[in-house]
Amino acid sequence: MPSASSAPRVPVEERLFSLVLALLATDAGLSKNEILSTVQGYRQKFSHSGDNANLERQFERDKDDIRELGVPLETLESPGQAGNNQNLRYRIPRGAYELPADVRFSPEETTLLNLAAMVWREGSLSGESRRAILKLRSQGVATTEPVLGYAPLVRIREPAFEPLSTALEKHLIVTFAYLKPGERESTVRSVAPLALVQHQGRWHLYARETSTDTTKTFLLRRIVSQVLATTQTFPAPDADSSVTALAELETVWNTHTALVEVEPGTDAATRLGKRRGSSVSGSGALELHYSDLNIFADELASFGPEALVIKPAELRAAVLERLQRTAADHG
Amino acid sequence: MAEHPAKKTGQPRHAQDKLAFLLSLVPYLMDRDRVSVGEAAQHFGVPPEQIREAVRLIGVSGVPGETATYQHGDLFDIAWDDFEDSDQIVLTNLVAIDDSPRFSAREAAALIAGVQYLSALPENTDRNAVASLTAKLSRGASAEPSQVAVEASESDVTLALIRESVTNGVQLEFDYLNSQGEGERRRVDPLRVESVDADWYLRGWCHLREALRTFRIDRISDPAVTTQPITHGTADVTLPESLFEGSADDLLVVIDVAPSAVALLADYSPDNVETVEHDGVVRTTVRVSHYHGLKRLIASMPGVATVVSPPEARAVVAQWAAAGAARYS
Repeated sequence: MPSASSAPRVPVEERLFSLVLALLATDAGLSKNEILSTVQGYRQKFSHSGDNANLERQFERDKDDIRELGVPLETLESPGQAGNNQNLRYRIPRGAYELPADVRFSPEETTLLNLAAMVWREGSLSGESRRAILKLRSQGVATTEPVLGYAPLVRIREPAFEPLSTALEKHLIVTFAYLKPGERESTVRSVAPLALVQHQGRWHLYARETSTDTTKTFLLRRIVSQVLATTQTFPAPDADSSVTALAELETVWNTHTALVEVEPGTDAATRLGKRRGSSVSGSGALELHYSDLNIFADELASFGPEALVIKPAELRAAVLERLQRTAADHG
Repeated sequence: MAEHPAKKTGQPRHAQDKLAFLLSLVPYLMDRDRVSVGEAAQHFGVPPEQIREAVRLIGVSGVPGETATYQHGDLFDIAWDDFEDSDQIVLTNLVAIDDSPRFSAREAAALIAGVQYLSALPENTDRNAVASLTAKLSRGASAEPSQVAVEASESDVTLALIRESVTNGVQLEFDYLNSQGEGERRRVDPLRVESVDADWYLRGWCHLREALRTFRIDRISDPAVTTQPITHGTADVTLPESLFEGSADDLLVVIDVAPSAVALLADYSPDNVETVEHDGVVRTTVRVSHYHGLKRLIASMPGVATVVSPPEARAVVAQWAAAGAARYS
């Protein structure tokens, strides 16, 4: 076997860049053998007589990495040789690679997109948004400087987000243990992820459960196990799944109404009074909407004596139980 | 031997980032006959040396070509003298690349969801503009953008007034309750609006405290734009990175918290905090300016977080929760 250490060391990015250039320049596609024997970074390690298994594995990883950047690396079967893996050809079709001519952004749009990318500066979408901004800057549009500094941030604390967004992109069925509100034991769910949406500051997974073939919404913070991706795929979801998911959450939020009495001039009066959709009822109490009884009960409990739930009875009981628990834990 | 024999999941992430940078830099350079390293560095927001490194690589890269041996015409070329002597970039031969790359499905999704989130800001409330930008990003992606969305929040009246006072260079005035429940009329030079998920904050120079302060926007009442000019602008003050600055007067409180909830306390953790896990509970320390802020935090995590010490902190939390429970009897 040839010794790789004697070959000049080509940096990974040079090999990936050379592969993209070579595949963009070909219409008919290149075979794996052509790539490994001629493209910069591979050819230095290619053995014309020997075993190139390691190099082939490297090529497989490189393809994945390139595709992850949104580069449409295509695999073509040679005519009349369907199923023959050794005769596959690879290329990057220019039209699918290049940003369409009508997709150009104004300085105002560029400014907004820069800010939109900054929203994800922490956590699992930070790499994606950083690369999106590089591609945007590639167009050379200067940004308009905003008068007031904005630093909005969406923070994703749930470890389930990352594996779910990968499964969402690859259309893979996933399984996880889910603790339903009000239940003590979690159950294992197997679902096709359709959308990830943030509603009222919380992340939800909208998914089709495989056992019942019905769509359900899961709160990410109630996923109590690791999310495991299976190898089983499902058809791409509707392009408006996230819109549907948000609309369903909004409906739930609208139908859940609570009546809460707040002490005037307190933090509870100010903050609950400014909550979206809050209104003052005839009795002077606040009418409030909520999505999840348990989460809302946690929030109301934080106001201690400043807030008193009038109805519904379940929410009243949930808040009282929480306050008693906290008092007992600290007694 | 392969380069990464033990790795199953691809190259180090930075090789991918470097590739994205190269593919983005080439079209930018193509659109300019001549550009200085400094200007390109400023445009991309990277150190000049990163531009130089990338240009050196581009200058020797290309396609195998008809001979499959990377002949001269198959490679990019740059005016090397201009580059080496005067830090100027001039591409003299181009190969393979004609235009900027498309966004990946996830990149486009991140931008779209970010734009949705930003529609809470007064200048972005034009829903049609947001919709057209979203459509453009979808067309600019190499695959249907992943279904990730953030609920578009309603633009807040206070945010619009903050905006107005910044544009006019005048102070903003409002009633504000501190965490101890005391209300005061404040006059503030607005400097920056920050947010975390559904919570929005104003950072500014507070004329009452004569110091930088962070205000929760949902605690602000009766805001009004004044006619008094600001005395502290963004050029005069350096805002600390973190939203809430620790101070020497902060109180340290030891708490036991369920492992799943540790992340929720990140904002309150001092640097280099020590945590010990025992019997399924994590013992850690949080930093608070006052026990009255602590009682609200702990009461929002019933059965999940418990104050261990000091005893005064335990007592404040116990009284708060007991007073709350008493209202139900």
